[in-house]
Amino acid sequence: MNTISELMTHDHRDCDGIFARAEELASDGDWADAAEALKKFADALNAHFDAEESTLFPAFEQATGMTQGPTMVMRHEHQNMRDTLAALQYALDKQDADDFAGEAETLLIMMQQHNMKEESVIYPMLDSRLPGDEQERLSASVGKHLGEARAA
Amino acid sequence: MMGPGLSYDDTPPFSAPIRFFLTAPLFGVAAGLTLIFGGEILVSRWTPGALAITHLFAAGFMLQVMLGALLQVMPVVAGASMPAPLRIAGITHLAMALGAAGLAFGLGAGAPGVLLGGAVLLVGGLFVFLSAAALGLSRGARTGNNTRTPRDLRMAFAGLVVTAVLGFSLVLVLTRGVALPVPLPTVVNLHAGWGWMGWAAVLLAAASWVVVPMFQITAAYPQRFTTLWAPAVTATLVLWTLAEYLAIDAARFIAILALGLLGAGYAGTTLYLQAHSRRSKPDTPFLAFREAMYSALAGVLVLAISLWSDADCWPILAGVLILHGGFGGTITAMLYKIVPFLAWLHLTQAGLKAPNMKKLLPDTPIRRQLRVRTTSLATLCVAVFVPVLAPLAGVVLAVEFGWLFANLLRVVRARRDAAKNAGPRPGSHASA
Repeated sequence: MNTISELMTHDHRDCDGIFARAEELASDGDWADAAEALKKFADALNAHFDAEESTLFPAFEQATGMTQGPTMVMRHEHQNMRDTLAALQYALDKQDADDFAGEAETLLIMMQQHNMKEESVIYPMLDSRLPGDEQERLSASVGKHLGEARAA
Repeated sequence: MMGPGLSYDDTPPFSAPIRFFLTAPLFGVAAGLTLIFGGEILVSRWTPGALAITHLFAAGFMLQVMLGALLQVMPVVAGASMPAPLRIAGITHLAMALGAAGLAFGLGAGAPGVLLGGAVLLVGGLFVFLSAAALGLSRGARTGNNTRTPRDLRMAFAGLVVTAVLGFSLVLVLTRGVALPVPLPTVVNLHAGWGWMGWAAVLLAAASWVVVPMFQITAAYPQRFTTLWAPAVTATLVLWTLAEYLAIDAARFIAILALGLLGAGYAGTTLYLQAHSRRSKPDTPFLAFREAMYSALAGVLVLAISLWSDADCWPILAGVLILHGGFGGTITAMLYKIVPFLAWLHLTQAGLKAPNMKKLLPDTPIRRQLRVRTTSLATLCVAVFVPVLAPLAGVVLAVEFGWLFANLLRVVRARRDAAKNAGPRPGSHASA
Protein backbone atom coordinates (compact mmCIF):
# COMPACT_ATOMS: atom_id res chain seq x y z
CA MET A 1 0.00 0.00 0.00
CA ASN A 2 1.20 3.49 -0.81
CA THR A 3 1.56 6.10 1.89
CA ILE A 4 -0.35 9.34 1.41
CA SER A 5 3.02 11.00 0.70
CA GLU A 6 3.84 8.54 -2.06
CA LEU A 7 0.41 8.69 -3.63
CA MET A 8 0.14 12.49 -3.68
CA THR A 9 3.78 13.13 -4.63
CA HIS A 10 3.35 10.76 -7.54
CA ASP A 11 0.25 12.66 -8.58
CA HIS A 12 2.20 15.95 -8.45
CA ARG A 13 4.73 14.49 -10.91
CA ASP A 14 1.94 13.20 -13.15
CA CYS A 15 0.42 16.68 -13.27
CA ASP A 16 3.89 18.12 -14.08
CA GLY A 17 4.19 15.76 -17.04
CA ILE A 18 0.80 16.73 -18.50
CA PHE A 19 1.64 20.40 -17.92
CA ALA A 20 4.95 20.05 -19.78
CA ARG A 21 3.09 18.49 -22.71
CA ALA A 22 0.60 21.39 -22.94
CA GLU A 23 3.43 23.90 -22.72
CA GLU A 24 5.36 22.18 -25.49
CA LEU A 25 2.36 22.00 -27.85
CA ALA A 26 1.56 25.68 -27.29
CA SER A 27 5.14 26.72 -27.98
CA ASP A 28 4.94 24.73 -31.24
CA GLY A 29 1.82 26.68 -32.14
CA ASP A 30 -0.25 23.49 -32.18
CA TRP A 31 -3.21 25.18 -30.47
CA ALA A 32 -5.78 22.44 -31.04
CA ASP A 33 -3.70 19.77 -29.33
CA ALA A 34 -2.52 22.26 -26.72
CA ALA A 35 -6.16 22.96 -25.84
CA GLU A 36 -6.77 19.26 -25.37
CA ALA A 37 -3.63 18.83 -23.24
CA LEU A 38 -4.49 21.88 -21.15
CA LYS A 39 -7.97 20.49 -20.50
CA LYS A 40 -6.43 17.22 -19.38
CA PHE A 41 -4.07 19.15 -17.12
CA ALA A 42 -6.90 21.27 -15.68
CA ASP A 43 -8.91 18.12 -14.93
CA ALA A 44 -5.95 16.46 -13.23
CA LEU A 45 -5.12 19.60 -11.22
CA ASN A 46 -8.71 20.14 -10.10
CA ALA A 47 -9.09 16.47 -9.12
CA HIS A 48 -5.91 16.81 -7.04
CA PHE A 49 -7.14 20.00 -5.37
CA ASP A 50 -10.57 18.45 -4.73
CA ALA A 51 -9.03 15.37 -3.11
CA GLU A 52 -7.00 17.58 -0.80
CA GLU A 53 -9.69 20.10 0.03
CA SER A 54 -12.49 17.64 0.62
CA THR A 55 -10.59 14.69 2.14
CA LEU A 56 -6.96 15.20 3.12
CA PHE A 57 -7.04 18.73 4.56
CA PRO A 58 -10.02 18.01 6.84
CA ALA A 59 -8.19 14.89 8.04
CA PHE A 60 -5.07 16.98 8.65
CA GLU A 61 -7.09 19.59 10.55
CA GLN A 62 -8.72 16.95 12.70
CA ALA A 63 -5.48 15.11 13.44
CA THR A 64 -3.42 18.20 14.29
CA GLY A 65 -6.06 20.59 15.60
CA MET A 66 -4.69 23.25 13.21
CA THR A 67 -7.66 24.62 11.31
CA GLN A 68 -6.40 28.11 10.55
CA GLY A 69 -2.80 27.20 9.75
CA PRO A 70 -1.11 25.33 6.92
CA THR A 71 -4.30 24.06 5.27
CA MET A 72 -5.71 27.57 5.09
CA VAL A 73 -2.54 28.70 3.29
CA MET A 74 -2.71 25.69 0.97
CA ARG A 75 -6.36 26.40 0.09
CA HIS A 76 -5.44 30.00 -0.63
CA GLU A 77 -2.61 28.90 -2.91
CA HIS A 78 -5.00 26.54 -4.70
CA GLN A 79 -7.17 29.57 -5.42
CA ASN A 80 -4.15 31.49 -6.78
CA MET A 81 -3.33 28.58 -9.06
CA ARG A 82 -6.93 28.31 -10.26
CA ASP A 83 -6.76 32.03 -11.14
CA THR A 84 -3.47 31.55 -13.04
CA LEU A 85 -4.92 28.51 -14.80
CA ALA A 86 -7.83 30.70 -15.94
CA ALA A 87 -5.33 33.26 -17.28
CA LEU A 88 -3.51 30.44 -19.08
CA GLN A 89 -6.77 29.27 -20.63
CA TYR A 90 -7.51 32.85 -21.72
CA ALA A 91 -4.08 33.12 -23.41
CA LEU A 92 -4.74 29.83 -25.16
CA ASP A 93 -8.15 31.01 -26.38
CA LYS A 94 -6.47 34.13 -27.82
CA GLN A 95 -3.65 31.93 -29.20
CA ASP A 96 -1.18 34.40 -27.67
CA ALA A 97 2.08 32.44 -27.41
CA ASP A 98 3.90 35.07 -25.31
CA ASP A 99 1.14 35.39 -22.76
CA PHE A 100 0.74 31.64 -22.63
CA ALA A 101 4.48 31.17 -21.96
CA GLY A 102 4.46 33.85 -19.24
CA GLU A 103 1.38 32.49 -17.47
CA ALA A 104 2.74 28.92 -17.80
CA GLU A 105 6.04 29.96 -16.22
CA THR A 106 4.17 31.66 -13.36
CA LEU A 107 1.92 28.66 -12.80
CA LEU A 108 4.85 26.23 -12.89
CA ILE A 109 6.78 28.06 -10.17
CA MET A 110 3.63 28.66 -8.11
CA MET A 111 2.81 24.97 -8.39
CA GLN A 112 6.30 23.75 -7.53
CA GLN A 113 6.82 25.87 -4.44
CA HIS A 114 3.35 24.80 -3.31
CA ASN A 115 4.23 21.14 -3.94
CA MET A 116 7.44 21.55 -1.96
CA LYS A 117 5.48 22.71 1.07
CA GLU A 118 2.95 19.90 0.79
CA GLU A 119 5.61 17.27 0.26
CA SER A 120 7.82 18.57 3.09
CA VAL A 121 5.21 19.33 5.69
CA ILE A 122 1.57 18.39 5.02
CA TYR A 123 1.92 14.85 3.65
CA PRO A 124 4.63 13.70 6.10
CA MET A 125 2.50 14.99 8.96
CA LEU A 126 -0.51 13.08 7.62
CA ASP A 127 1.64 9.94 7.36
CA SER A 128 2.89 10.30 10.92
CA ARG A 129 -0.19 11.60 12.73
CA LEU A 130 -3.03 9.50 11.31
CA PRO A 131 -3.69 5.98 12.60
CA GLY A 132 -2.75 3.21 10.13
CA ASP A 133 -6.30 2.15 9.25
CA GLU A 134 -7.34 5.77 8.71
CA GLN A 135 -4.38 6.27 6.37
CA GLU A 136 -5.32 3.17 4.43
CA ARG A 137 -8.93 4.30 4.08
CA LEU A 138 -7.94 7.82 2.94
CA SER A 139 -5.31 6.52 0.56
CA ALA A 140 -7.78 4.16 -1.08
CA SER A 141 -10.50 6.78 -1.40
CA VAL A 142 -8.16 9.50 -2.73
CA GLY A 143 -6.46 7.04 -5.09
CA LYS A 144 -9.87 6.05 -6.48
CA HIS A 145 -10.92 9.69 -6.91
CA LEU A 146 -7.70 10.59 -8.77
CA GLY A 147 -7.92 7.45 -10.91
CA GLU A 148 -11.52 8.23 -11.93
CA ALA A 149 -10.57 11.79 -12.87
CA ARG A 150 -7.79 10.48 -15.13
CA ALA A 151 -10.09 7.93 -16.76
CA ALA A 152 -12.82 10.51 -17.45
CA MET B 1 -1.19 27.54 16.16
CA MET B 2 0.37 28.04 12.76
CA GLY B 3 2.21 25.16 11.13
CA PRO B 4 5.93 25.62 10.98
CA GLY B 5 7.13 27.56 7.99
CA LEU B 6 3.99 27.47 5.86
CA SER B 7 2.29 30.63 6.93
CA TYR B 8 2.44 33.70 4.72
CA ASP B 9 3.79 35.46 7.81
CA ASP B 10 6.86 33.26 7.38
CA THR B 11 7.58 34.69 3.93
CA PRO B 12 10.16 37.38 4.59
CA PRO B 13 9.31 40.87 3.26
CA PHE B 14 10.38 41.47 -0.37
CA SER B 15 13.15 43.85 0.67
CA ALA B 16 14.85 41.25 2.92
CA PRO B 17 16.20 38.92 0.20
CA ILE B 18 16.14 41.48 -2.62
CA ARG B 19 18.79 43.71 -1.02
CA PHE B 20 21.24 40.78 -1.14
CA PHE B 21 20.32 39.98 -4.76
CA LEU B 22 20.77 43.58 -5.91
CA THR B 23 24.14 44.23 -4.29
CA ALA B 24 25.57 40.85 -5.35
CA PRO B 25 26.15 41.72 -9.05
CA LEU B 26 27.93 44.93 -8.03
CA PHE B 27 30.74 42.76 -6.64
CA GLY B 28 31.01 41.17 -10.09
CA VAL B 29 31.31 44.65 -11.62
CA ALA B 30 34.04 45.45 -9.07
CA ALA B 31 35.85 42.24 -10.08
CA GLY B 32 35.68 43.35 -13.72
CA LEU B 33 37.07 46.80 -12.85
CA THR B 34 39.90 45.18 -10.87
CA LEU B 35 40.82 43.16 -13.96
CA ILE B 36 40.72 46.25 -16.17
CA PHE B 37 42.97 48.37 -13.97
CA GLY B 38 44.94 45.71 -12.12
CA GLY B 39 47.38 44.78 -14.89
CA GLU B 40 48.39 41.19 -15.49
CA ILE B 41 46.79 39.73 -12.42
CA LEU B 42 45.78 36.41 -13.99
CA VAL B 43 49.37 35.16 -14.25
CA SER B 44 49.20 33.43 -10.87
CA ARG B 45 46.62 32.68 -8.18
CA TRP B 46 48.87 34.45 -5.66
CA THR B 47 48.85 37.95 -7.17
CA PRO B 48 47.07 40.48 -4.91
CA GLY B 49 44.66 41.23 -7.76
CA ALA B 50 43.73 37.55 -8.21
CA LEU B 51 43.11 37.22 -4.47
CA ALA B 52 40.95 40.36 -4.55
CA ILE B 53 38.90 39.13 -7.52
CA THR B 54 38.41 35.69 -5.97
CA HIS B 55 37.04 37.26 -2.80
CA LEU B 56 34.89 39.81 -4.63
CA PHE B 57 33.36 36.84 -6.37
CA ALA B 58 33.12 34.32 -3.51
CA ALA B 59 32.61 36.47 -0.41
CA GLY B 60 30.80 39.18 -2.39
CA PHE B 61 28.68 37.85 -5.25
CA MET B 62 28.21 34.21 -4.24
CA LEU B 63 27.77 34.72 -0.52
CA GLN B 64 25.32 37.60 -0.95
CA VAL B 65 23.06 35.63 -3.29
CA MET B 66 23.21 32.47 -1.24
CA LEU B 67 22.26 34.27 1.98
CA GLY B 68 19.40 36.12 0.28
CA ALA B 69 18.16 32.85 -1.21
CA LEU B 70 18.41 31.07 2.15
CA LEU B 71 16.25 33.72 3.79
CA GLN B 72 13.63 33.01 1.16
CA VAL B 73 13.75 29.24 0.77
CA MET B 74 14.18 28.10 4.35
CA PRO B 75 10.43 28.34 5.06
CA VAL B 76 9.56 26.52 1.83
CA VAL B 77 12.20 23.81 1.73
CA ALA B 78 13.05 23.19 5.36
CA GLY B 79 9.83 24.31 7.04
CA ALA B 80 12.01 26.72 9.00
CA SER B 81 11.72 30.47 9.20
CA MET B 82 14.34 32.94 10.26
CA PRO B 83 13.40 34.96 13.35
CA ALA B 84 13.00 38.72 12.63
CA PRO B 85 14.01 38.35 8.96
CA LEU B 86 13.96 42.06 8.14
CA ARG B 87 16.21 43.03 11.04
CA ILE B 88 18.60 40.12 10.48
CA ALA B 89 18.73 40.92 6.75
CA GLY B 90 19.39 44.60 7.46
CA ILE B 91 22.25 44.03 9.89
CA THR B 92 23.95 41.16 8.11
CA HIS B 93 23.58 42.59 4.62
CA LEU B 94 25.33 45.83 5.52
CA ALA B 95 28.05 44.16 7.59
CA MET B 96 28.79 41.49 5.01
CA ALA B 97 28.69 43.78 1.96
CA LEU B 98 31.13 46.18 3.63
CA GLY B 99 33.13 43.24 4.97
CA ALA B 100 33.53 41.58 1.55
CA ALA B 101 34.50 44.91 -0.03
CA GLY B 102 37.04 45.59 2.75
CA LEU B 103 38.45 42.08 2.54
CA ALA B 104 38.93 42.32 -1.24
CA PHE B 105 40.37 45.84 -1.08
CA GLY B 106 42.71 44.86 1.75
CA LEU B 107 43.98 41.85 -0.20
CA GLY B 108 44.30 43.70 -3.50
CA ALA B 109 45.87 46.91 -2.22
CA GLY B 110 47.88 45.32 0.59
CA ALA B 111 46.15 47.36 3.31
CA PRO B 112 46.27 45.30 6.53
CA GLY B 113 43.93 47.55 8.53
CA VAL B 114 41.19 47.41 5.88
CA LEU B 115 41.74 43.67 5.46
CA LEU B 116 41.29 43.00 9.17
CA GLY B 117 38.31 45.35 9.44
CA GLY B 118 36.66 43.68 6.44
CA ALA B 119 37.26 40.21 7.84
CA VAL B 120 35.79 41.18 11.24
CA LEU B 121 32.66 42.63 9.61
CA LEU B 122 32.28 39.60 7.34
CA VAL B 123 32.71 37.04 10.11
CA GLY B 124 30.55 39.06 12.51
CA GLY B 125 27.73 39.36 9.96
CA LEU B 126 28.02 35.68 9.19
CA PHE B 127 27.84 34.80 12.87
CA VAL B 128 24.59 36.72 13.29
CA PHE B 129 23.09 35.24 10.11
CA LEU B 130 24.05 31.65 10.88
CA SER B 131 22.86 31.89 14.48
CA ALA B 132 19.47 33.07 13.27
CA ALA B 133 19.38 30.37 10.56
CA ALA B 134 20.36 27.68 13.08
CA LEU B 135 17.59 28.83 15.39
CA GLY B 136 15.12 28.65 12.50
CA LEU B 137 16.32 25.24 11.38
CA SER B 138 16.15 23.83 14.90
CA ARG B 139 12.51 24.90 15.05
CA GLY B 140 11.81 23.47 11.61
CA ALA B 141 13.42 20.14 12.37
CA ARG B 142 10.21 18.71 13.78
CA THR B 143 8.36 18.66 10.48
CA GLY B 144 9.95 15.76 8.63
CA ASN B 145 10.91 16.05 5.00
CA ASN B 146 11.29 13.55 2.24
CA THR B 147 14.40 15.15 0.70
CA ARG B 148 17.93 15.44 2.01
CA THR B 149 17.82 19.20 1.60
CA PRO B 150 17.44 20.33 5.26
CA ARG B 151 20.28 18.04 6.39
CA ASP B 152 22.53 19.23 3.57
CA LEU B 153 21.72 22.87 4.33
CA ARG B 154 23.07 22.29 7.84
CA MET B 155 26.20 20.69 6.40
CA ALA B 156 26.72 23.67 4.11
CA PHE B 157 26.47 25.97 7.13
CA ALA B 158 29.14 23.88 8.86
CA GLY B 159 31.33 24.07 5.74
CA LEU B 160 30.90 27.85 5.66
CA VAL B 161 31.92 28.10 9.32
CA VAL B 162 35.12 26.08 8.67
CA THR B 163 35.86 28.26 5.62
CA ALA B 164 35.38 31.42 7.68
CA VAL B 165 37.55 30.16 10.56
CA LEU B 166 40.37 29.22 8.16
CA GLY B 167 40.00 32.51 6.30
CA PHE B 168 40.01 34.55 9.49
CA SER B 169 43.13 32.79 10.75
CA LEU B 170 44.82 33.63 7.43
CA VAL B 171 43.88 37.27 7.90
CA LEU B 172 45.43 37.15 11.39
CA VAL B 173 48.62 35.70 9.87
CA LEU B 174 48.77 38.50 7.31
CA THR B 175 47.84 41.38 9.58
CA ARG B 176 48.99 40.34 13.05
CA GLY B 177 51.85 37.96 12.28
CA VAL B 178 50.12 35.07 14.06
CA ALA B 179 51.98 31.77 13.51
CA LEU B 180 50.14 28.71 12.11
CA PRO B 181 51.04 25.05 12.76
CA VAL B 182 51.02 24.33 8.98
CA PRO B 183 52.50 26.22 6.00
CA LEU B 184 50.46 29.19 4.79
CA PRO B 185 49.80 27.85 1.23
CA THR B 186 48.36 24.68 2.80
CA VAL B 187 45.91 26.69 4.88
CA VAL B 188 45.00 28.72 1.78
CA ASN B 189 44.27 25.48 -0.10
CA LEU B 190 42.15 24.16 2.76
CA HIS B 191 40.29 27.47 3.00
CA ALA B 192 39.55 27.32 -0.75
CA GLY B 193 38.64 23.61 -0.64
CA TRP B 194 36.22 24.00 2.27
CA GLY B 195 34.75 27.08 0.61
CA TRP B 196 34.26 25.50 -2.82
CA MET B 197 33.12 22.06 -1.76
CA GLY B 198 32.13 22.14 1.93
CA TRP B 199 30.09 25.30 1.63
CA ALA B 200 29.27 26.32 -1.95
CA ALA B 201 28.97 22.92 -3.65
CA VAL B 202 27.04 21.32 -0.76
CA LEU B 203 24.68 24.30 -0.68
CA LEU B 204 24.22 24.19 -4.45
CA ALA B 205 23.60 20.44 -4.29
CA ALA B 206 21.13 20.85 -1.41
CA ALA B 207 19.21 23.31 -3.58
CA SER B 208 19.53 21.13 -6.68
CA TRP B 209 17.97 18.06 -5.02
CA VAL B 210 14.75 20.07 -4.95
CA VAL B 211 15.08 22.71 -7.65
CA VAL B 212 16.26 20.62 -10.62
CA PRO B 213 13.53 17.91 -10.52
CA MET B 214 10.78 20.37 -9.72
CA PHE B 215 11.48 23.35 -11.95
CA GLN B 216 13.11 21.58 -14.85
CA ILE B 217 10.65 18.66 -14.59
CA THR B 218 13.23 15.88 -14.48
CA ALA B 219 13.31 12.58 -12.61
CA ALA B 220 14.49 12.80 -8.99
CA TYR B 221 18.21 12.41 -8.21
CA PRO B 222 18.86 8.76 -7.22
CA GLN B 223 18.07 8.43 -3.53
CA ARG B 224 21.34 6.74 -2.61
CA PHE B 225 23.23 9.52 -4.39
CA THR B 226 21.54 12.34 -2.44
CA THR B 227 21.84 10.37 0.81
CA LEU B 228 25.58 9.90 0.43
CA TRP B 229 26.84 12.87 -1.56
CA ALA B 230 27.06 15.69 1.00
CA PRO B 231 28.31 13.45 3.87
CA ALA B 232 30.93 12.02 1.48
CA VAL B 233 32.10 15.52 0.56
CA THR B 234 32.31 16.60 4.19
CA ALA B 235 34.06 13.39 5.29
CA THR B 236 36.58 13.70 2.44
CA LEU B 237 37.28 17.31 3.42
CA VAL B 238 37.94 16.21 7.00
CA LEU B 239 40.30 13.44 5.79
CA TRP B 240 42.06 15.88 3.46
CA THR B 241 42.50 18.38 6.30
CA LEU B 242 44.02 15.65 8.49
CA ALA B 243 46.28 14.51 5.64
CA GLU B 244 47.54 18.08 5.18
CA TYR B 245 48.08 18.54 8.92
CA LEU B 246 49.96 15.25 9.22
CA ALA B 247 51.71 15.87 5.85
CA ILE B 248 50.75 12.47 4.38
CA ASP B 249 51.22 13.12 0.66
CA ALA B 250 49.46 10.04 -0.71
CA ALA B 251 46.34 10.62 1.40
CA ARG B 252 46.34 14.27 0.43
CA PHE B 253 46.49 13.37 -3.24
CA ILE B 254 43.70 10.79 -2.99
CA ALA B 255 41.45 13.14 -1.00
CA ILE B 256 41.79 15.95 -3.57
CA LEU B 257 41.10 13.51 -6.39
CA ALA B 258 38.07 12.16 -4.51
CA LEU B 259 36.71 15.70 -4.06
CA GLY B 260 37.12 16.30 -7.78
CA LEU B 261 35.29 13.08 -8.58
CA LEU B 262 32.47 13.97 -6.17
CA GLY B 263 32.12 17.37 -7.85
CA ALA B 264 32.13 15.74 -11.27
CA GLY B 265 29.59 13.17 -10.04
CA TYR B 266 27.20 15.93 -9.03
CA ALA B 267 27.63 17.84 -12.31
CA GLY B 268 27.39 14.66 -14.40
CA THR B 269 24.23 13.41 -12.65
CA THR B 270 22.62 16.83 -13.01
CA LEU B 271 23.45 16.91 -16.74
CA TYR B 272 22.02 13.42 -17.17
CA LEU B 273 18.75 14.37 -15.44
CA GLN B 274 18.49 17.59 -17.42
CA ALA B 275 19.04 15.72 -20.68
CA HIS B 276 15.91 13.69 -19.82
CA SER B 277 13.77 16.65 -18.75
CA ARG B 278 10.10 16.40 -19.60
CA ARG B 279 10.23 20.06 -20.58
CA SER B 280 11.43 19.41 -24.09
CA LYS B 281 12.06 23.08 -24.87
CA PRO B 282 14.48 24.26 -22.23
CA ASP B 283 14.27 27.97 -21.39
CA THR B 284 17.29 30.25 -21.30
CA PRO B 285 18.12 29.98 -17.58
CA PHE B 286 17.89 26.19 -17.91
CA LEU B 287 20.49 26.30 -20.70
CA ALA B 288 22.68 28.54 -18.53
CA PHE B 289 22.44 25.96 -15.74
CA ARG B 290 23.59 23.25 -18.15
CA GLU B 291 26.45 25.39 -19.40
CA ALA B 292 27.48 25.88 -15.76
CA MET B 293 27.57 22.11 -15.21
CA TYR B 294 29.81 21.61 -18.28
CA SER B 295 32.07 24.39 -17.07
CA ALA B 296 32.31 22.78 -13.61
CA LEU B 297 33.22 19.44 -15.23
CA ALA B 298 35.94 21.15 -17.27
CA GLY B 299 37.13 22.87 -14.08
CA VAL B 300 37.49 19.53 -12.29
CA LEU B 301 39.52 18.20 -15.22
CA VAL B 302 41.84 21.22 -15.12
CA LEU B 303 42.16 20.84 -11.35
CA ALA B 304 43.29 17.24 -11.90
CA ILE B 305 45.90 18.47 -14.40
CA SER B 306 47.16 20.96 -11.79
CA LEU B 307 47.95 18.02 -9.47
CA TRP B 308 50.55 16.83 -11.98
CA SER B 309 51.75 20.12 -13.44
CA ASP B 310 53.26 23.01 -11.51
CA ALA B 311 52.39 25.59 -14.18
CA ASP B 312 50.65 28.66 -12.68
CA CYS B 313 47.96 28.73 -15.35
CA TRP B 314 46.09 25.57 -14.26
CA PRO B 315 44.84 26.63 -10.82
CA ILE B 316 43.76 30.00 -12.27
CA LEU B 317 41.93 28.32 -15.16
CA ALA B 318 40.26 25.89 -12.74
CA GLY B 319 39.21 28.85 -10.61
CA VAL B 320 37.69 30.64 -13.61
CA LEU B 321 35.82 27.53 -14.78
CA ILE B 322 34.51 26.54 -11.34
CA LEU B 323 33.84 29.94 -9.75
CA HIS B 324 32.72 32.02 -12.71
CA GLY B 325 31.53 29.23 -14.99
CA GLY B 326 30.08 26.76 -12.48
CA PHE B 327 28.87 28.66 -9.43
CA GLY B 328 28.38 31.97 -11.29
CA GLY B 329 26.30 30.25 -13.98
CA THR B 330 23.99 28.33 -11.65
CA ILE B 331 23.53 31.36 -9.41
CA THR B 332 22.66 33.60 -12.36
CA ALA B 333 20.19 31.00 -13.67
CA MET B 334 18.53 30.71 -10.26
CA LEU B 335 18.34 34.51 -9.81
CA TYR B 336 16.37 34.74 -13.06
CA LYS B 337 13.80 32.37 -11.58
CA ILE B 338 13.76 33.56 -7.99
CA VAL B 339 13.58 37.34 -8.39
CA PRO B 340 10.61 37.58 -10.82
CA PHE B 341 8.76 34.96 -8.79
CA LEU B 342 9.30 36.89 -5.55
CA ALA B 343 7.98 40.04 -7.19
CA TRP B 344 4.95 38.11 -8.42
CA LEU B 345 4.40 36.43 -5.05
CA HIS B 346 4.51 39.65 -3.05
CA LEU B 347 2.11 41.41 -5.43
CA THR B 348 -0.27 38.45 -5.27
CA GLN B 349 -0.06 38.23 -1.50
CA ALA B 350 -0.89 41.93 -1.29
CA GLY B 351 -4.12 41.08 -3.13
CA LEU B 352 -3.01 42.84 -6.34
CA LYS B 353 -3.21 41.54 -9.88
CA ALA B 354 0.39 40.65 -10.70
CA PRO B 355 1.75 40.64 -14.26
CA ASN B 356 2.98 37.18 -15.25
CA MET B 357 6.66 36.34 -14.78
CA LYS B 358 7.64 37.01 -18.36
CA LYS B 359 6.06 40.46 -18.18
CA LEU B 360 8.06 41.19 -15.03
CA LEU B 361 11.24 40.07 -16.83
CA PRO B 362 11.00 39.16 -20.54
CA ASP B 363 13.19 36.51 -22.17
CA THR B 364 15.11 38.84 -24.47
CA PRO B 365 17.15 40.77 -21.86
CA ILE B 366 17.87 37.47 -20.08
CA ARG B 367 19.08 35.86 -23.29
CA ARG B 368 21.30 38.84 -24.16
CA GLN B 369 22.86 39.00 -20.72
CA LEU B 370 23.55 35.26 -20.76
CA ARG B 371 25.23 35.61 -24.14
CA VAL B 372 27.58 38.19 -22.61
CA ARG B 373 28.11 35.77 -19.74
CA THR B 374 29.28 33.03 -22.13
CA THR B 375 31.58 35.52 -23.88
CA SER B 376 32.90 36.63 -20.52
CA LEU B 377 33.74 33.05 -19.49
CA ALA B 378 35.48 32.39 -22.82
CA THR B 379 37.47 35.65 -22.65
CA LEU B 380 38.55 34.93 -19.07
CA CYS B 381 39.76 31.46 -20.11
CA VAL B 382 41.79 32.88 -23.00
CA ALA B 383 43.18 35.68 -20.79
CA VAL B 384 44.65 33.04 -18.46
CA PHE B 385 47.00 32.08 -21.32
CA VAL B 386 47.27 35.53 -22.95
CA PRO B 387 47.66 37.85 -19.94
CA VAL B 388 47.56 40.98 -22.08
CA LEU B 389 43.86 40.23 -22.66
CA ALA B 390 43.02 40.53 -18.94
CA PRO B 391 41.68 44.12 -19.24
CA LEU B 392 39.42 43.02 -22.12
CA ALA B 393 38.13 40.13 -19.99
CA GLY B 394 37.57 42.71 -17.24
CA VAL B 395 35.42 44.85 -19.53
CA VAL B 396 33.26 41.88 -20.55
CA LEU B 397 32.99 40.74 -16.92
CA ALA B 398 31.90 44.21 -15.78
CA VAL B 399 29.32 44.37 -18.59
CA GLU B 400 28.04 40.90 -17.70
CA PHE B 401 27.40 41.77 -14.06
CA GLY B 402 26.23 45.31 -14.79
CA TRP B 403 23.64 43.83 -17.12
CA LEU B 404 22.59 41.26 -14.53
CA PHE B 405 22.10 44.13 -12.06
CA ALA B 406 20.06 46.07 -14.64
CA ASN B 407 17.85 43.03 -15.35
CA LEU B 408 17.15 42.47 -11.65
CA LEU B 409 16.48 46.17 -11.12
CA ARG B 410 14.00 45.97 -13.98
CA VAL B 411 11.98 43.41 -12.01
CA VAL B 412 12.01 45.59 -8.89
CA ARG B 413 10.74 48.52 -10.97
CA ALA B 414 8.10 46.39 -12.71
CA ARG B 415 6.87 45.29 -9.30
CA ARG B 416 6.70 48.86 -8.07
CA ASP B 417 4.82 50.02 -11.18
CA ALA B 418 2.45 47.07 -10.95
CA ALA B 419 1.76 47.85 -7.30
CA LYS B 420 0.98 51.45 -8.25
CA ASN B 421 -1.22 50.70 -11.24
CA ALA B 422 -2.77 47.32 -10.60
CA GLY B 423 -6.26 46.81 -9.32
CA PRO B 424 -7.10 44.05 -6.88
CA ARG B 425 -6.66 40.51 -8.14
CA PRO B 426 -10.02 39.12 -9.27
CA GLY B 427 -11.52 36.93 -6.60
CA SER B 428 -8.68 37.78 -4.22
CA HIS B 429 -9.27 37.33 -0.55
CA ALA B 430 -5.77 38.11 0.58
CA SER B 431 -5.45 40.56 3.37
CA ALA B 432 -1.66 40.70 3.69
